[in-house]
Amino acid sequence: MNLRGISKTIFVIAVVVILIVAVAAYFLLKPPAPKEIVWTSTQLNPSAERAFVEGTLLPAFAEEKGIKAQFVPISYADLASRLEAEMAAGKVTISLIGELHGGLDLFASKGWLEDLTQFGELPDRTFPPVLEKYSKIHGIKAYVPWMTATYVFVVNRKAFEYLPPGLTEDDVVKGTSKWTYDALLAWAKNIYEKTGEKKLGFPVGPKGLWHRFLHGYLYPSFTGAQVKNFNSPDAVKMWEYLKELWNYVNPASTTWDAMAEPLLKEEVWLAWDHTARIKDAVVQKTEDFVVVPVPAGPKGRGFILVVAGLAIPKDAPAKQEAWALIEYLTRPEVQVEVLENVGFFPSVNEAVGAIPSGPLKVMAQGVNAQISAGDALLAMIPSLGPKGGEFTGTYRNAFERIVLQGEDIETVINELGPKLMKLFEEVGAPLPPPDA
Amino acid sequence: MLMFIGYPIFETFRLAFTDPGTGALGLYNFFELAEDFHFWNALKYTFLLAGIIIPIQVTLALSVSLLLMSRFKGSGAVLYIFLIPLTISDVAASLIWYNMLTGSGYLNRILLNLGLISEPLHFFGYQYRNMELLAIVVTEIWRATAIVFVIIFAGLQIIGRDYLEAADVFGAGTFEKLRYIIIPMLKPSIQTALIVRTLFAMQVFAVVWVLAGRDIPVLAGEAYYWQVELKNPNVAAAYALIIAFISLFLGAVYLKLFKPKYLEE
Repeated sequence: MNLRGISKTIFVIAVVVILIVAVAAYFLLKPPAPKEIVWTSTQLNPSAERAFVEGTLLPAFAEEKGIKAQFVPISYADLASRLEAEMAAGKVTISLIGELHGGLDLFASKGWLEDLTQFGELPDRTFPPVLEKYSKIHGIKAYVPWMTATYVFVVNRKAFEYLPPGLTEDDVVKGTSKWTYDALLAWAKNIYEKTGEKKLGFPVGPKGLWHRFLHGYLYPSFTGAQVKNFNSPDAVKMWEYLKELWNYVNPASTTWDAMAEPLLKEEVWLAWDHTARIKDAVVQKTEDFVVVPVPAGPKGRGFILVVAGLAIPKDAPAKQEAWALIEYLTRPEVQVEVLENVGFFPSVNEAVGAIPSGPLKVMAQGVNAQISAGDALLAMIPSLGPKGGEFTGTYRNAFERIVLQGEDIETVINELGPKLMKLFEEVGAPLPPPDA
Repeated sequence: MLMFIGYPIFETFRLAFTDPGTGALGLYNFFELAEDFHFWNALKYTFLLAGIIIPIQVTLALSVSLLLMSRFKGSGAVLYIFLIPLTISDVAASLIWYNMLTGSGYLNRILLNLGLISEPLHFFGYQYRNMELLAIVVTEIWRATAIVFVIIFAGLQIIGRDYLEAADVFGAGTFEKLRYIIIPMLKPSIQTALIVRTLFAMQVFAVVWVLAGRDIPVLAGEAYYWQVELKNPNVAAAYALIIAFISLFLGAVYLKLFKPKYLEE
């Protein structure tokens, strides 16, 4: 009886010891797991783009470097609150961030990003000076420019037959100082007088990006700023110009959300839109279209450049691995692959030369001509978070009231201007370039 | 029930009466909405469209139903053809009409080739809002008259033959039969058709959105615009509530107007 009790105790102890040894051995002898890093990105989130990242980009990277990256699509608001929480808790899980300039600007201002100069230079690639300049903010190199997108003019070659006197095809394609908003007006007017049709078009429909043209193109070109001079004498001149131009704009513009269709149907010969929204037209009829820089105004050639950058959070768990991924993602050949698959333009000069000829080359050349123009006046979309809709809505309301409904210019802009400034104060966001 | 109906309704009320800035309860969103000039236009156009479209649809549906009741040769085929638009989604129907009426569309090309017009007719664009209104009315009638028709046609089937035969015996003409037998007996069907159609009219969205964008604002379109483009769910919820209350009110009005006479004694 007693003996039986003892042997039972020994048996239990033996089992426990064996278990402990087994568990310890498992953890001690387990082969090291492949390095895994977390890459959160507000870009490339739609399922097709995400599939490209997870199915093509990252497997090739993992094979080459032996680093496994987990791609986490995330919204800007979620990213900001997650980063804030991780910084406050002192436990960072994110190693790499893919975000637009505006968000990274804010993160850098809060001291959440590593200074990337510690990793040295990236070999065999040059970034356009304008991108280099904007990635160095708040005293650090906050991010590496990753992808760009912009809005351009598309011209149907037929329109070149109706160029106004003093403007040549070369001026338009290269974006010389003769390619101005006045020249655009004269051109559209000439086409209307010769053909009886209004062949200039804009995406003014409710889901169109017309507000970007107002705040990022016309305003900087005419007033030198997006927001600051909203109700200035220069702005009055700008609205007078737009009212005049509107006489030669295809009236159905207010129902168009993207310009590819109207271009293909030849309802318009001249159109402005986001590169992604005119891509279909250029792809389907590459021979018919030329992508050209936007015209210049009295204060310069204002245009919006959307820049997505790659940044490493402070105290990230795998900084070196993240830097390796940055190196991989900014290689010219990888950037061309991104352009071909998801339509974002490269951020390194070498990539532009590496694009095979075809529609994408046509577009990349136009985009490049715009960035490289001597009078380029770069505008960035402000990051107002949830108030972004109110910001763009203000410009659209001003347009509807002044141009469509014929209200007095000064009354409208003097009423809306203070509201616009209040938005920036409420959010505490800095005015976007070129204002600041 | 509570999950799928109660919670969304509660959320809509909560959103609509919450000031997104401070989180305080109040009418803030309704003031913001009323300050926007699009709201008053949306209200105007929603009622205007309903006021134009519904009477035309009911008259048309009633006429076609009566015509089909006479069972002429080929009436079966007409019935099916008339119902085809019912099977097409509203967005698809609008795109069909948009492509037909647009500057380089079929209609303009045919008219130009026939020499009836010298430059294309403009149906779209802010400057041509009356034409846009016309395009919306035509599309809605083409697309949704069949719904009204189905209800009224079904109502006609259940009117007993004996009533009409009795009327014949007493020498009633077609008009008398219509006035004293068919219309009164159709009242419940017409009431149903009107309520269904009016509720749809208050929610009119896709057709207007595709054909006229925001040139012709409507209530449901504004709710969508505030939610998706302006990213303000609070004002969007306020719009949703306004649409709901207008619908409830109009529904109540119909029920009162169409109350059968004998109940009022």
